[in-house]
Amino acid sequence: MYDPLNRIEGEKADISIRDGKVVEGVSDGATIIDASGMIVMPGGVDIHSHIAGAKVNAGRILRPEDHEKDVEKHTSITRAGTGHSIPTTYTTGYRYAKLGYTTVFEPATPLMKTRHTHEELDDTPIVDKGCFPLFGNDWHTIEYLQQGRVEECAAYIAWMLRATKGYAIKIVNPGGVEAWKWGRSLVGLDDRVPNFELTPREIIRGICKVNQLLHLPHTIHVHTNDLAKIGNYQTTIDTMDSVRGLGNENKPSIHITHVQFTGRTGSAWHNVGSGAPEIADYVNKHDHVTVDMGQIVFMNTTTMTADGAFQYMLYQLSGNKWLNSDVEVETGSGVVPYRYRRNNYVNAIQWGIGLELALLIKDPWRVYMTTDHPNGGDFTKYPKIISWLMSRKAREKSLARINRIARNKLDLPDLDREYSFSEIAVVTRAGTAKALGLKEKGHLGVGADADVAVYNIDPRKVDPSRDFRLVRKALKKAAFTIKGGRIVVKNGEMVETPMGRTYWVDSSVSEGLRSKVESDLRTTFTKYYSVQMDNYAMADSELAHSSRINVKADV
Amino acid sequence: MKEIILTIKRGLRLPVVADELSPDKLAGKCVQEIQAIKMWEGNRQLALEDIFRVTEKLNGSEETTIRVVGNASKIRKIGFEMSSGSVLVEGDAGMYVGEDMTGGSILVTGNTGSWTGMQMKGGRIEVKGNTGDYVGAGYRGTDQGMKGGTIMIHGNAGNEAGCWMTSGNIRISGNTGLFPGIHMSNGTILAEGDCVGRAGAQMRGGKVIISGRLPGILPSFAFEEIQEKAKFIDEKILGPFYAFSGDMNENGKGKVSVRVSSNPHLKWCEQYLEV
Amino acid sequence: MTTLSKKIISNVVCPFCGSTCDDLEVTVEDGKVLTARSGCSSSSSKFLSCNIERPLTPFIRKDGELREASYEDAVHRSAEILANAKYPVLYGWGSTCNEAVRAGLELTEWVGGVIDNTATFCHGPSLLASQEVGMSTGTLGEAMHQADLIIYWGSNPVHSHPHHIMRYSALSKGRFRSSRKERRMVVVDVRRTDSAKLADQFIQVTPNGDYELLCALRMAVRGDELEQNVVAGVPAERIEELAELMISCEFGVLFFGLGLTASEGRHRNVDVALSLVRDLNARTKFLIFPMRGHFDITGACQVSAWITGFPYGVDMSQGYPRYNPGDTTMIDILARKDCDAAVVIGADAASNFPAKATRNLAKIPVISIDPHSSPTALISEVVFPSSFVGIETGGVIYRMDGVAIMTKPVIPPPPGVHSDVEILQDILSHVKKLKTGQ
Repeated sequence: MYDPLNRIEGEKADISIRDGKVVEGVSDGATIIDASGMIVMPGGVDIHSHIAGAKVNAGRILRPEDHEKDVEKHTSITRAGTGHSIPTTYTTGYRYAKLGYTTVFEPATPLMKTRHTHEELDDTPIVDKGCFPLFGNDWHTIEYLQQGRVEECAAYIAWMLRATKGYAIKIVNPGGVEAWKWGRSLVGLDDRVPNFELTPREIIRGICKVNQLLHLPHTIHVHTNDLAKIGNYQTTIDTMDSVRGLGNENKPSIHITHVQFTGRTGSAWHNVGSGAPEIADYVNKHDHVTVDMGQIVFMNTTTMTADGAFQYMLYQLSGNKWLNSDVEVETGSGVVPYRYRRNNYVNAIQWGIGLELALLIKDPWRVYMTTDHPNGGDFTKYPKIISWLMSRKAREKSLARINRIARNKLDLPDLDREYSFSEIAVVTRAGTAKALGLKEKGHLGVGADADVAVYNIDPRKVDPSRDFRLVRKALKKAAFTIKGGRIVVKNGEMVETPMGRTYWVDSSVSEGLRSKVESDLRTTFTKYYSVQMDNYAMADSELAHSSRINVKADV
Repeated sequence: MKEIILTIKRGLRLPVVADELSPDKLAGKCVQEIQAIKMWEGNRQLALEDIFRVTEKLNGSEETTIRVVGNASKIRKIGFEMSSGSVLVEGDAGMYVGEDMTGGSILVTGNTGSWTGMQMKGGRIEVKGNTGDYVGAGYRGTDQGMKGGTIMIHGNAGNEAGCWMTSGNIRISGNTGLFPGIHMSNGTILAEGDCVGRAGAQMRGGKVIISGRLPGILPSFAFEEIQEKAKFIDEKILGPFYAFSGDMNENGKGKVSVRVSSNPHLKWCEQYLEV
Repeated sequence: MTTLSKKIISNVVCPFCGSTCDDLEVTVEDGKVLTARSGCSSSSSKFLSCNIERPLTPFIRKDGELREASYEDAVHRSAEILANAKYPVLYGWGSTCNEAVRAGLELTEWVGGVIDNTATFCHGPSLLASQEVGMSTGTLGEAMHQADLIIYWGSNPVHSHPHHIMRYSALSKGRFRSSRKERRMVVVDVRRTDSAKLADQFIQVTPNGDYELLCALRMAVRGDELEQNVVAGVPAERIEELAELMISCEFGVLFFGLGLTASEGRHRNVDVALSLVRDLNARTKFLIFPMRGHFDITGACQVSAWITGFPYGVDMSQGYPRYNPGDTTMIDILARKDCDAAVVIGADAASNFPAKATRNLAKIPVISIDPHSSPTALISEVVFPSSFVGIETGGVIYRMDGVAIMTKPVIPPPPGVHSDVEILQDILSHVKKLKTGQ
């Protein structure tokens, strides 16, 4: 068993489950699952994966050719569906369950379109889920912060999280997406947003303060500015540094997502390099930051983000079909198919950056394994990435096949660190659950949700460094996946398909502040939005399985 | 090797999917095994013998031949993914004939449905009758359509022949519908009859040759010259042809050649001839 | 919501066209709608006439005649027809709610059939085109706040989407453009429509000439010279002027309708329009919007896509989703006589299909589900009356730009009349029993 949160690292143990929870013990009449010679971990918790919502679905519609050859047949217990880089909702749930994952978060949903996100999440089986609504380009946030009205901003964001049933604050290219609405781009953190007075730095700091005031379980979750800039690693460091000192209680105060995409050095595409050492150095020295990799895999995938400006740039670079969808008042989005090629210099560097980050950042509790699905590759590639983290030999095999000049430029060939099973458990479940503030996930102590992954691989007999292919094979198809105490996967096949719950956060602010802000919103809503405020907010009953998390704000 | 003769033994009403009907998949199988092959008819799977009577004949050739006898207009994907051997359909065939094929040859004596030669990579398809839309086209959403091979249509073709074509050759002896060569980046399409219009639309490369009448040339094509002849594979076709380059909106380096004698209404372009 | 007293309900969502106006004020009394204000005349018409020509019981055909039947019998008969069918098609879906579309998708999967929606007639071509070249679009509020150049191409919103211009374009109040004079409106159409009369500029294009005109516009936007003096009836100078207008605007929007999707070239007309707008984004900011017709056609396509991967024309006969319009779409399937049963929901197929398709539809057992009686019901085997989404039953619908809005009932449905969701779920439940033998 690997339960790093409870400091269990590869010991033999029994787990007792009753009524969906891990308990002290159960009666003799209980069903026994014999996992001898197998690894048992808490179910996977994916902190960042684009699985539901307007841009994800726009991507599905855009790419019939991506679905054509990857199909899932109807069975008496499972729904039909398609993949490949953007699986349909039922297929998403089943494929995650087969990997031993039991919780997934959709990391970017436009406020105005979050009802759509929840419709899709309600059609995503097995996994527990939630979503991160987008702030940082929305007029209300920018105007409140511009006027120094941080407390009212907090009340507004609390209102929005309740209205959209959101879990955490997502910030994408703050200020930059609003600039994109006029076809413009910002550079760095101190450029002024057109038509407004604020800079990205001020937006990030302001929302970080709001996050603290609201006591949200997760930190602000940030996709930094300058994704489209060639050498952009400094922006990542500046962003992390912009909120230093704002945090409290030695808890992280900012999460930077898919750092690989903003981890480049260089001034032109032909001299791009890895900024991972610099970023890792900053992360190692500052514990207010957590990050996730955004690792790329060499495949034909689909990029999709709220960063409309970046997506346009990618269209210009690749010549591939380009979908753009701006959302009034709030944000934008773009989708562009993209193939990462081993022999492409830039792609090879990108591949190296993600792995270097994970190997150079010392504390596995602050760096998480993701592909920013599907941007870097689809989530079924996770076992491959895990094998790269655990085995230098696996990395060498891949290194031997990538663009030679890139290989010579990267530090990766010289890095000999290899993750242990315990560290893998941290970066795929224990650490992510902790970062999300989900106290009943990511561990198997008494009181935890009975979400368990059993992988058919014996850590006493298999050396993951040498036998990385066995690791991949075992992680691809869980021997058992248990969700809420029910066996859902056996030997990589679905046996039961219950629906999970949707987590969202209700941060209660003081009544006086709440009613003031709501009354102000009534005025601005009419001026800003093309729908009525009364029709905008979601009722709790709209979620099929709502799981509300209550917190009390400081305002 | 042998010739496998599949005679359709009943009228077909529902769509039948015959993606196992290729020389590659039937080679080495005995009659009983062939009879047991699963096919879809609507939403039911049945055995091949439910639709076909199977007989075989040894012939002197190295390769496997399949002969389909009867009205196969409801049967789809004949020759799917084949790489060698030959298929002969004595009658009409349905949609998706020769989809994804890489080699070998298919001959249909009657008409074929739409998407004949979809995503073809090599080999040869010949249709004595007419075909529908999208001959030699790519699947929805792809920018990599037909990649090689030759398609010969003796009769007429519908719209969008060679859509997103990247290589290969398509010849249509009869008339062609709208948009032959749309979005093509390479390859050659020869339409010997009339074309309804918009030849070479949005092409980035490749050649479209129209021997019959083309009502107009798109504004995004520039008149280059009068060509004495046009070339289709290694055949020289005597012109003269008006040669236009485009599609300029796609920075295209493709060519649309239109026979002078069939298109007197295009004489206006001669004002752009270099003197 | 009581049924007896008079009540005013505000912010009611209109279930008529893709504009999805959501500021209606409806007065109800005794379970009936008295007035419906703030919407257009089509909207109030729909609310006020919902009780006209309504069957209140199901019908089943017996001995050639449609006879009144119980709901249970109609459900059982429908389930039998569908469970036994070898290639059934379930069609319509644009005038119901997402919850019903979801049930329809599951039903299609269980009966191994094809599910197609009215996009096939309307903006299916737009979807096909965007699958090849992408699209630069947004939500309608973007147009409202920012657009200084508004083009309606092959779309006559005064008639098709009456409040569109007032809510989202030339007459709307946006943050950065608050009056009519801050916008320039151009209409391109084959004749001078009522919408053209409101425009600053009207360009008349030869019928079926849109492709050539858009092609020429792209040339002019690139700065390439046109060799032809007139394209599709429009002189080169006017084309160049329009191109200049488009390049020099701060924020342009192009709304397009059936003028492009239904005239010769169809999805290729849309393809070249999407490509033009994409090209324009290199010079300025430009968005393009398909003017979706039915009030939840956008939702139907979205739900279909997240469940199957494809927005319409989905064949599940082999147990998995397969998509290829022209093959897997209703009209083509009917023309080839491939199908042996059909469900038509919220769409009057018999009136709108080409004659040959309607004749073939009449030869197979049809289950029709609709609030109103229609010619389709007359050729059906089973007829279900259903309740009106947005008036008598609620559910999520999507505006033409993909914004999800929740509709709520304002009056109860007539007794015995079920919602689309209930009917489909009941049929599905019975189909499952038949298929699994339980």
